[in-house]
Amino acid sequence: MSNTVNVAGLSFTLANPTTTRKFGPRIGSAVFRRPNGAELTIETPGMLASSSRGVIPHLSRDHHNLTKAIRWVHIPFETFLEHSPPVPTLQAGKNPLHTFLGFLPSQHILSMSIRDPHDGKGMPSNGNAHVCASSLRGVRKISPSTWRSHVGACQPDIAIALSDTPFTDPPYSQKRLTKSIERSVQWLADILQPVEEPALRPNIFVHMSGATSIPARRAFSESLTEILHGREADSVKPFRCLDEGVSGYTFNLVPLRLSLDASIRPVPEDQHDIPPTIDSRDPLPTRNTRHADQIIPLLQASLISLPTSKTRLINSARSPHEILLFIQNIGVDLFDAHWAQRAADIGIALDFRFPVTEHARGKASTKLGKEIPTNGKRNIGHNLYHNDYTLDFTSLGGDSFVGSYDDRANMATQDICLCAACSPAIPRTRIAHGNDPNEASSIIPEEAPPRYRPPYTRAYVHHLLHTHEMTAHSLLVMHNISVLDAFFAGVRRVVAEKGEQEFIEEVKVFESTYDGNLAVFDEARVMWRNVEMARGKGRLAREKAKQEESTLGTAVEL
Amino acid sequence: MEFEVLAKCHTTRARVSRMKLAHGVTMLPTFMPVATQAAIKGLTPEQVESLGVSLILNNTYHLNLRPGLKVLQEAGGAHKFQGWDGNLLTDSGGFQMVSLNKFMTMTEEGALFESPFTGEPTMLTPEESISIQHIIGADIIMQLDDVVSSLTVGPRVEEAMERSVRWLDRCIAQHENSGKKRTQNLFAIVQGGLDPELRDRCLDEMVKRKDGVSGFAIGGLSGGEEKDIFWRIIKQCAEKLPEDRPRYSMGIGFAEDLLVCVALGVDMADCVFPTRTARFGVALTHQGPLNLRLSKHAKDFNPIDEACPCPTCESGTSRAMLHHIVTHETAAAHALTLHNVTFQAQVMGRARTAIMEGTFPDYLHSFFANYFGDVGYPEWCVNALRSVGVDLLEGKDINVVPGQGAKWEYAKS
Ligand SMILES: [Zn+2]
Ligand SMILES: [Zn+2]
Repeated sequence: MSNTVNVAGLSFTLANPTTTRKFGPRIGSAVFRRPNGAELTIETPGMLASSSRGVIPHLSRDHHNLTKAIRWVHIPFETFLEHSPPVPTLQAGKNPLHTFLGFLPSQHILSMSIRDPHDGKGMPSNGNAHVCASSLRGVRKISPSTWRSHVGACQPDIAIALSDTPFTDPPYSQKRLTKSIERSVQWLADILQPVEEPALRPNIFVHMSGATSIPARRAFSESLTEILHGREADSVKPFRCLDEGVSGYTFNLVPLRLSLDASIRPVPEDQHDIPPTIDSRDPLPTRNTRHADQIIPLLQASLISLPTSKTRLINSARSPHEILLFIQNIGVDLFDAHWAQRAADIGIALDFRFPVTEHARGKASTKLGKEIPTNGKRNIGHNLYHNDYTLDFTSLGGDSFVGSYDDRANMATQDICLCAACSPAIPRTRIAHGNDPNEASSIIPEEAPPRYRPPYTRAYVHHLLHTHEMTAHSLLVMHNISVLDAFFAGVRRVVAEKGEQEFIEEVKVFESTYDGNLAVFDEARVMWRNVEMARGKGRLAREKAKQEESTLGTAVEL
Repeated sequence: MEFEVLAKCHTTRARVSRMKLAHGVTMLPTFMPVATQAAIKGLTPEQVESLGVSLILNNTYHLNLRPGLKVLQEAGGAHKFQGWDGNLLTDSGGFQMVSLNKFMTMTEEGALFESPFTGEPTMLTPEESISIQHIIGADIIMQLDDVVSSLTVGPRVEEAMERSVRWLDRCIAQHENSGKKRTQNLFAIVQGGLDPELRDRCLDEMVKRKDGVSGFAIGGLSGGEEKDIFWRIIKQCAEKLPEDRPRYSMGIGFAEDLLVCVALGVDMADCVFPTRTARFGVALTHQGPLNLRLSKHAKDFNPIDEACPCPTCESGTSRAMLHHIVTHETAAAHALTLHNVTFQAQVMGRARTAIMEGTFPDYLHSFFANYFGDVGYPEWCVNALRSVGVDLLEGKDINVVPGQGAKWEYAKS
């Protein structure tokens, strides 16, 4: 086996593998072993961070390394198609994608898909042998073999096989769905074809095709487990069926939601050519929760014929409420953090816990949601644009967490938010520049415990938001990702320690405690827009593209 | 404030000193990054501290508008509000008031302007400026001066200079009576435009008031004046200012300007330039600025500077990656801001080392050779350094460029 191969082998274990049930809350761990012996474990249910142009929006490299909640980052590759060959494919050395983007093989799992799973904008139809991807220089056609070669050059830990997801106007005809499934199966087979160095191939996840048609979704899944013969079998040796080469199943909710919207809203004949509006592809939560109920049967249709032993990943869930539904009713293992990161763009500091703490139970938010009623429930976060926070010197998630500086009363670990906003640590080292003061050498030794400062306050971030200081979003992203990570830790604890029935009870308590309509997000979005628009004069046209709601990291003018 | 000169250059007027303030020691000469609204663009205070920066600047005018004094007071001052444990300097607010307000008139009482909140006529007096700065709580505070553009000519310059002296007296009196003298230090600002005679008179008057101030700033420059006039005024002021007080040149940020000012005897400088230029995709290097928007960087896997200790270079961020995200992602601005703030600190840190070791003239030679060797030396730098005994052209066959002479990698791709 070659030493240059550093793709991590994935083994996924469920805590209770003997369960014969297909659906229901489950906990497990995905262990990635690198050839050098390093091991990275993702406990499930868990999360992955979303990226834009290869970075986690608003975070410098020191910040993404510092944020321990960031263990898995998903990289949409399409922005790199601006150059041919794509620049990351030219990166020399081990772990090319990690190296190019500045993620640590010892700390970060990287997955890679051709398209941004959150982007639902209208696109030209895919062909029999290409997917249409979006780059700043226009639409790029990418063939399965090109994708295979990019994946081979970048060596992500996980690659998502190409799939034919239509982004032309829904609804789709049965003929279109059949074609979509055939292509997706073919393209999965392509990336699974035998390679000289099997360890060079990353773990393959497959997107579950079939749009909103239950028969189509079933048909796609069944074709994965179908035993292949003859030439077809040879083309994916040593796998007997495609599913044997697959490590995980992904579900992109954005195209599903677009289809669901289209199916209930008859499109006038003359508007058929109009691409979806910004609003309809907005991945932010809206006060519309019907989607989850419709999506669950679709996902179950995909999974019913497949083994339960593989990871299930959802992109673009909209809220913790939705996430809980998918965990409870399906047993989804992984969720992206897109909505929580996007919340940081619009000035929201998340402040919620699962299971709901005694303190939070039954209490409505004292602040906020004033403009929009929350039915007497608590908000899951604070719209820090709101003037109520001008003099609020508590920490960002102060209703649910303390910072490490305040940890005097021996709080349990789950009570502490370790993000750099709630638990800012005094740097262990300072760069020496020449004839520095003696005092500057009083750095903290590596073996000594970290020393913390008081948390950044809501008042400070409120000020930074209103003065357009980018630091606001850096602090909010680190915090929100950490709160979401703590939420998943809470879910795992309840399922592991108390079992399914208690978990379902806790979900009910969560739903009755926290506003699932996310009214506070609507309020923040309006204020964010007003503050940004008051300032947005003279913005470059190119930056305007980034202002679209569906794009992560758009809050701030450079 | 404790202020001690540790070493002097044997040739130029450069010096190394140790300045101890309520939030620690800052070695001089130093460059102060600007946190106008209580944040260095996109960075957290912990990041700024990790770069080896110990003194930053907040703008009084901005903080007074937002978050406002009530918030700062309840937070326990600007240090606590922004989580900055190092040293802090605030300006008087006068300069921003002049540059950001159309309808502003200077009277003997103070600066009269239209409140941005209510539109009401509002007066900022020297006493009020000091009181505001007391609430903000910076380690170094500045007198309110009567600011005129450096391009202004005629009797207004003289009036502003004389008024600045009178306002200094009022600021000193306000500061003396405040009970804040132990933790906060007042600096005077020398005015007088581009007229050496007015500058001399101002220097005489202000130096007389030395016992009431902890340091002196040189104001009224960097407003687009001829560089050859700029350095002469700096030199004149630095020569006349007392040895035992730090000298602060306001609004200076280009590396060559910094080193010339240091050679002329300046200890401190500030400028938004390194953080602003980072947002537009420019990385500062010892070989000159690098415009990462240019397509020539698209496939360059080298870091900005192999030897740079900043988190961006140290983690191996390639120019290709920066090119991919620059102007699209705030993270690109953060990466370049981390680098540029470090670069400024390195330029000054190397100056301190060289002065201590008696090799400052050599440092000047090597800096200019690296930075301008390919395009030619700015004539004004050659002239300025010649005036303190360093001949950059000695033994060199190098082009000399007249005019403003800043070096730019223009955005033609
Ligand atoms: Zn936090
Ligand atoms: Zn650097």
